[in-house]
Amino acid sequence: MEGVSYQRFPKIKIREVKDECMKFELRNTDASIANALRRVMIAEVPTMAIDLVEIEVNSSVLNDEFIAHRLGLIPLTSERAMSMRFSRDCDACDGDGQCEYCSVEFRLSAKCLGDQTLDVTSKDLYSSDHSVVPVDFPDSTGYDSPEQRGIVIVKLRRGQELRLRAIARKGIGKDHAKWSPAATVTFMYEPEIHINEDMMETLSLEEKQSLVDSSPTKVFDIDPNTQKVVVVDAEAYTYDDEVLKKAEAMGKPGIIDIRAKEDSFIFTVESTGAIKASQLLLNAIDVLKQKLDAVRLSDDTVDADDQFGELGAHMRVG
Amino acid sequence: MNAPDRYERFVVPEGVKKVTYERDTKIINAASFTIEREDHTIGNIVRMQLHRDENVLFAGYKLPHPLQYKIIVRIHTTSQSSPMQAYNQAVNDLDKELDHLKKAFEAELAKHSADY
Ligand SMILES: [Zn+2]
Repeated sequence: MEGVSYQRFPKIKIREVKDECMKFELRNTDASIANALRRVMIAEVPTMAIDLVEIEVNSSVLNDEFIAHRLGLIPLTSERAMSMRFSRDCDACDGDGQCEYCSVEFRLSAKCLGDQTLDVTSKDLYSSDHSVVPVDFPDSTGYDSPEQRGIVIVKLRRGQELRLRAIARKGIGKDHAKWSPAATVTFMYEPEIHINEDMMETLSLEEKQSLVDSSPTKVFDIDPNTQKVVVVDAEAYTYDDEVLKKAEAMGKPGIIDIRAKEDSFIFTVESTGAIKASQLLLNAIDVLKQKLDAVRLSDDTVDADDQFGELGAHMRVG
Repeated sequence: MNAPDRYERFVVPEGVKKVTYERDTKIINAASFTIEREDHTIGNIVRMQLHRDENVLFAGYKLPHPLQYKIIVRIHTTSQSSPMQAYNQAVNDLDKELDHLKKAFEAELAKHSADY
């Protein structure tokens, strides 16, 4: 017996897309899907991050575990992470970080010889795999900006040294936030704002202005030519209800009506640089599909219930 | 020292079933599905999808305790359907919805990557 499908066909429209940042509209679906995508992007899309550190020499001012923690937080380029293995289920190496399917080795060796303080940065990490390297921030301001020099791990003075070996592994944000590819992922309901023109005509210009000014964000304005109140930026509305309260206080409830469209969402996705923002959404869809696949009923569960069902049917007849 | 491994939160232990099904003993066409190592992400989309099914009289999920890494989905249907049928249908429909979303997004992306 095959059931009827209740499938939806969501629409998506990209507003802006850059490597590390993306804005898009998602329509014809509900908040549960929007929220599932947000949650998966933050906590379940895999990336690579340093997870094991062997310190050979450390005469810096920071202790070993402090440095190991800082290394873990450095975002690494992770386009390959989706196809790699988690080291806990890697049978090629038993998860000890010696194999190419689940881990990448890094080496760092720095010693300060001069009088000037030496910054040890993510650029001093040498990877055994050119596809997994500390993220690089493209520089637009000039070649001597601090960003160009990578992420500072520790500073060394004359005579201090840091030498270590680090293993990066595949992981997810649910395990530890260092594996989260998302800097921020947010969505908002698209607001739908209606102005009752007839009621608005009964207001004086000063009253219109005070209504416009009651919103803490610039949602409304007065058209200089027609002197009508117009919506200039519906999405600036933060669902604060201030204009609605103002309208009420003016004795004009219903002059403005604001509703959240239940099936339209505006997403903002910012990546740490580990993967592109657009790839982050694609990977999130794949991960969510894998999760759904994992929660399908197994055949033996279905069979066990079929027998139970027949038994139940016999009992009901009897 | 005796802290459990962090992955305990999302890796199903050996010998434990991902989904177990239990019929309600008193109400016909009512059942509970216990899903191991899942949370609101799956619970809420499955629940909302089940609400679209007109043969579903009740669908809800709960996360019984934040340190028990499982959810319980409860479904009650009319005699036209069954909890198992409704559950399978919901998972299939969600899967197809995501397929559609992926295709739609890839098409959008192709349009945009041309000019950036
Ligand atoms: Zn391995």
